[in-house]
Amino acid sequence: MDFSFSEREEAFRREVREFLAASNPNTGAEGGEDIESAMDRLPKLLAWNQALHEKGWVGFSWPKDVGGGGGGLIEQMILKQECGSARAPMLGLSYMGLAWVGPGIVKYGSDEQKKRFIPPILKAEEHWCTGYSEPGSGSDLASLQCKAVRDGDHYVITGQKIWTSLAMWAQWMILLVRTDSSSTKHHGITCVLVPMNSPGIEVKPIRTMNGETPFAEVFFNDVRVPVANRLGAEGQGWEVTKHALANERSSIAEVTAMVHALEDLKGLAARCSRGGRRAIEDPFVRQRLARMETMIEAMRLTGLRFLTRQLRGEEVGAETSVNKLLRAELEVEIGRLSLEIEGRYGGLAKGSAAVVDGGRWQHQMLSWPAYVIGGGTPNIQKNVIAERLLGLPHD
Amino acid sequence: MEFGFSADQEQLRAQVRRFLDAECPLERVRTIMTSREPHDTGLWKKMAELGWQALVIPQQYGGLGLAWEDLVVLAEQAGMSLLPSPLLADAAAARALCAMGSEEQKERWLPSIASGETIATLAVLEESDDLSENGVTLEAASSPGGVTLGGRKMFVPWGQAADLFLVAAREGAGVSLFAVPAGSAGITVTPLKLVDATIRAAEVVFDGVVVQDSSRLGEKGRAWPALSRVLDAATVTLAAEMVGAADAALRLATEYAKVRKQFGQPIGRFQGVKHRLAEILVDVESSRSLVYYASWAVDHLEDARAQVSMAKAYASIALDRAGEDGIQIHGAVGFTWECNAHLYYKRGRVCRSIDGTPEYHHERLLACQGL
Repeated sequence: MDFSFSEREEAFRREVREFLAASNPNTGAEGGEDIESAMDRLPKLLAWNQALHEKGWVGFSWPKDVGGGGGGLIEQMILKQECGSARAPMLGLSYMGLAWVGPGIVKYGSDEQKKRFIPPILKAEEHWCTGYSEPGSGSDLASLQCKAVRDGDHYVITGQKIWTSLAMWAQWMILLVRTDSSSTKHHGITCVLVPMNSPGIEVKPIRTMNGETPFAEVFFNDVRVPVANRLGAEGQGWEVTKHALANERSSIAEVTAMVHALEDLKGLAARCSRGGRRAIEDPFVRQRLARMETMIEAMRLTGLRFLTRQLRGEEVGAETSVNKLLRAELEVEIGRLSLEIEGRYGGLAKGSAAVVDGGRWQHQMLSWPAYVIGGGTPNIQKNVIAERLLGLPHD
Repeated sequence: MEFGFSADQEQLRAQVRRFLDAECPLERVRTIMTSREPHDTGLWKKMAELGWQALVIPQQYGGLGLAWEDLVVLAEQAGMSLLPSPLLADAAAARALCAMGSEEQKERWLPSIASGETIATLAVLEESDDLSENGVTLEAASSPGGVTLGGRKMFVPWGQAADLFLVAAREGAGVSLFAVPAGSAGITVTPLKLVDATIRAAEVVFDGVVVQDSSRLGEKGRAWPALSRVLDAATVTLAAEMVGAADAALRLATEYAKVRKQFGQPIGRFQGVKHRLAEILVDVESSRSLVYYASWAVDHLEDARAQVSMAKAYASIALDRAGEDGIQIHGAVGFTWECNAHLYYKRGRVCRSIDGTPEYHHERLLACQGL
């Protein structure tokens, strides 16, 4: 074991720190922020993205020949650590583009597709949404029904998607369609890159329990998309998606957000009175704060163990579900504990005069289910662990 | 940056595994745990031949000079096998001698500990179950012959097997540590009967035990800071054993869930069972990460208390759950004497409170941050 960094890595850390001291827009209002206020600070964020891009820090580990940074895993971790502790905004604005669309195109895309799509992702000029889920398909993603029929050099798409994050703001969708209903479930699926302004696409926002509309239903009525927009071969869509999602899971666990939430919870507990004493003096609260800290540190360290294995050239697969589950548990616990710390005030809604911290915690309490359920529910993660790591039989 | 074991450490792990599978399967553990002997001397000698007692003792005193993280490799495997042995208590005492002893004291004791000839253990905790400096009340009074010790120690790890006690005593305003041979006049050792019979502990009474000034480790009344760090290192190996035991409990229940059929299916196909097993795995891997890091921290950080506390708190929770759920997954078979599930459960229940409960360590973690 060796937790030191090389001279080169330390130099990189200094470079990141100096950059952050000069350029951090400090707009990272973590938690409690609705989509509208996020949009207000968009110009600042775009400038930040541009500055990062010039440094080669957006798409940090992507190959240089597609416009990425060509960086190593340890430097990427340092970059994330430093941005995290400076509470800088997320690295790169196109979350889905950077997390899985880009890596998918880098691996399966044609040269034209790489040239066309990668630069706008890195510059945050085009935003993506993900057309995977369908009504009724839920965790059984491969049961999807949305279909594409070949008509000359076009696909004609009919069907519906749901739970599409940020569909109203995206210019492009990475879409899974069934191109062959006769072959077995996983083999008739194809991946297509679809412009959201195509005639025949209708986007209907879904209002969630926190009152916002981060998701939408997307309807396809004979939408024509050029065959040239297919990512990978026809029928290869499942493989492309598995690669894309594995890429998402292998990204170093986003511990920073949890660390900040915990720091803020401790601050909250020091300010709030609960049953006649400060919440931070209440053993019930203290035990839970300490337990949270222990889980977050476990997540951080398990992430480092996986990173070491990747550096040694080993595959890390289903193991990453371990951290996904911890993260889910922590999200739920933040939602519970924050309101309990506030005591009676925890029941106040955002917008109320006496609400604590502008209603940030209430917002979190109503927003975590989207993170916890999206991308595989905890129960599905447990199935993955049980079947792939423990060798138990499939459901 | 590298958070993983080296090729040498992997080799050590494999060697330990082979030995324990051959020499200490659970049938053997069951024999040892019902034996009246203080410990299994045959097993002890074989481990000494492999150099396990010498592992963390510096080479100039006959040891192998390895790091605490190497011992943690061994401890985890020992926990998987529920190894009933004073090995880790002995290592903690050796660490105290290394950290606090004079050259003369080290030369006197360390070579015979390294060879396995002398079994040493720390005698710190008392009736109050208070792990702090204030908890030490056993009195060291100056006397013509040197120092006279009077008082009682509780839960002395493997006290019935020890040849040497390192005794924490109140001396003036502070705490001192004395190396006291178990055969000294005035010492009475009474074995305690523990719920977990695979480990041992004793009550040790010191009734007017006279020791020389030269048996004091370090300065008079100044032992606590160094002793506290030694206790932290001991806590890490205990936590490593607990992670190993939790992993073994998980494997036992998993194998059972694959073969036991109900309603025409292996029970491991039912989500009620497979999800529980997955949750145990999350706990095992998470606490393992914390324990490995803490094992590095006790050798490399000035203050490793926070890392140690997190490791012990999570390992306790992990083994507790693995033990309980392991029994439940076995159904009614799980609470029979013949089924091994109860061995892990008992280990978890007892070790939870050794070296501090999760609640104690949660509080200590916050205290480290001034909260």
